[in-house]
Amino acid sequence: MTLRSLLRAAVATALAAAFVATAAAAQDPRLGRLDPGTRPLVAVAIDSARAAGLPTEPLVQRALEGATKGAPGPLIVSAVQRLAADLGRAREALGPGTTPPELEAGAAALRAGAGPAVLTQLRRARRQTIAVPLAVLTDLVASGVPVDSAAAAVLALAARARDADLVEFRRAVERDIALGAPPTAATAAAAAAADARISQLNAGARENRPGRP
Amino acid sequence: MRGPARIAPAAPSTARPATSTRRAWAASVTAAWSLLSVRTAVAQMTGTVDLGVSTVHYDGFLPSGAAAVTPVLRWDRPAGMLTASGTYLRFESGHRSLQGLLAGSFLTPPAAHAWRGEFAASAGASRYLDFASFWHVVAEARLHRLGAERGLWVGGTAGTTSYGTAPRPVIAADVGVWARRSEVTLRLAVNHAQVGDTTYTDLESSAHAGRGPVALEAKLGARVWSRGGGRGVYGEGSATIWVGGRTAFVISGGRYATDPISGSITGRYLSAALRVRTAAPRRAFPRDPAVLHARGADGATVLRAARLEVHADRNRAVRLVVRVASAALVEIAGDFTDWQPVALGSASPDTWEVTLPVPSGVHRLDVRIDGGAWIVPAGTTRAPDDYGGDVGIFVVP
Repeated sequence: MTLRSLLRAAVATALAAAFVATAAAAQDPRLGRLDPGTRPLVAVAIDSARAAGLPTEPLVQRALEGATKGAPGPLIVSAVQRLAADLGRAREALGPGTTPPELEAGAAALRAGAGPAVLTQLRRARRQTIAVPLAVLTDLVASGVPVDSAAAAVLALAARARDADLVEFRRAVERDIALGAPPTAATAAAAAAADARISQLNAGARENRPGRP
Repeated sequence: MRGPARIAPAAPSTARPATSTRRAWAASVTAAWSLLSVRTAVAQMTGTVDLGVSTVHYDGFLPSGAAAVTPVLRWDRPAGMLTASGTYLRFESGHRSLQGLLAGSFLTPPAAHAWRGEFAASAGASRYLDFASFWHVVAEARLHRLGAERGLWVGGTAGTTSYGTAPRPVIAADVGVWARRSEVTLRLAVNHAQVGDTTYTDLESSAHAGRGPVALEAKLGARVWSRGGGRGVYGEGSATIWVGGRTAFVISGGRYATDPISGSITGRYLSAALRVRTAAPRRAFPRDPAVLHARGADGATVLRAARLEVHADRNRAVRLVVRVASAALVEIAGDFTDWQPVALGSASPDTWEVTLPVPSGVHRLDVRIDGGAWIVPAGTTRAPDDYGGDVGIFVVP
C-alpha cells in the first residue's frame, strides 16, 4: 500500500467519522436512550430520511420502541431503516403533498400487505385526509380481513365517510368477527351498513336544508 | 357451491370433492385473498351446518327429492387452511348415503415478484346403500402469481381414486387466471385430467359477487374433450342471503359434470337450504373480548390479561382505560408517550385510566402490569413489531 492510498483511506475514514459525529451531534435528544453504538447509526438513518423529505418522528418513535423493549442495537437500526423505506414507498404511492400522519399510515398499510395502487386509489377517492382510512385498512387486515376485501370496503366508504364513520365501521367488523362471522363477510356486511347509514345522514341533511324561495 | 342436490346416487354429497379445476379455482380464490393477507397472524375456525331439501335429476335416473345435512368445519390460517366436511343424505326412496371429505392447503412464504407456491391435499370417501363405495386421495402443487386485482396459477395433481374396484391413478394439470373488480371476482381455467383410462378436458369460468349480506355465484363450463368422461355444457348458480350474523338461506341450482375422481355423475338440481353458522369453537382472535390471557409483547409469555378502551374527545384528549383484575400498578407506553412508561390512575379496583393528548391516526402501544413484561392488551389489534414480538395497534379518529 502506497503512502497516497494510506492517506486516501485515512481521509475517507475521517470524513465518514465526521459525518456520523455530525449526525449524532444534531440528533434528537430523545435518542439519548439508545446505547452509544446504536445512537449514531439511527441518527444517520433519520438524517437520510429528513434529507429525502420524509417525516422523522415515526422513525424516532420506532427507535424508542426498540429501546423500551430492550431490543439489540442492530435490530433497532434495521427497524428504523425499514420504516424509512416504507415511508418512501408510501410517498411514492400517495404523492408529494402527503402529510406525515398520512405517510405513516400509508407505510403501515403497505407493511400490512396493501398494494401501492390501493393507496393511490384512496388518495383519489377522498378529498379529506386519508390517515384514518389508511389506519382502518391496516387495522382490518391485521384483524384477519383479506387485504382485497378490506381495501374494497374502505375505498367504497372513503369518499363520503367521516373519520368517525370509518372507525365505527371498523368496530362493527371487529364485533361481528368476535361473534363468529368470517372476516370477509363481516367486512362486507359492516361496509353495507355504514354505506346505508351515511346515505341516510346525507339524505337527512338535504331534507333539512331550506328550500328555494 | 354447496347445494344439497349436487349429489349422484353413487357418491351423494353436498360437499363432494370438486374436480381438479374446481379445486384449483377454490384454491386460487383462497390464495388470492389469503396470500395477500400474509401478515395476519391469527387463526380462525368456523363451522356451518346446512339443512336442505332439493330435487335432483341424475342422468339415467328418475328425478328424486332429497333431504341433506351437511356440517362443515373450516380452520383458516394466513398460510393455509383445513376443511373437514360430511354429508348425510336421505332420498325420497328412503335410501341414505354418507360422505366425508378432509382437505387442506399450505402456502409458501412470499417470494419475489408476487409468486407463491401452494401444496394441497384432499381425501374423501362416500357410501350409498351397500353397493357403491368411493374413496380418493389426491395431492396438488400449484404456483400462483398474485397481483392486487388479478392473478394466475398453474398446477398439477396426482393421486388415486377407487369405486369398489382396483384403485385408479389420477393425474391432472390446470391453468387459470382470475381478476377482481370491486365486489366481483371472475375466474377462467382449463383443466386436463386422466383418471385411469378416462381422460377429459374442462374449460370453466365463474363469477362471484358479494354485497352486504348477499353473495352470488355463477359457473359456466364445458367438457370440451373427453374419453369416457362425457361431454357437454354445464352451469350452476347460487345465492346466499345472510339474515343476522349466523343464519343464511342458500338457494342453488344448475347442471354439473361427471367427476371421475369423486365418482359423481352428471345431474341437474335445484335446492334450498338453511345455513347455520356455529360459534367458533377454538377461535384465536386477538380482539376477542373473551380472551382471558394476553401474550407478552415478546409473543410467547402467557401473562395476565388487560383490555384497553379508547375514548377520544373532540379536543384531541384521549382517555385510555385499561381493565385488569387485581393489579397494583398499570402502565402504558406508546408512540404518544415517546415509549416512556406512563402510570395509569386507579378509577376502581379493576379499572385504570389516563388522559393524554393523542393525535388522530394509527398508534402503537403496550401495557405493563405490576412491573412485569410488556403485553398487548385486548381491544387493540395485535401486530408484529420489528423486534421479534408484538405490539398493539389502535386508531384515533
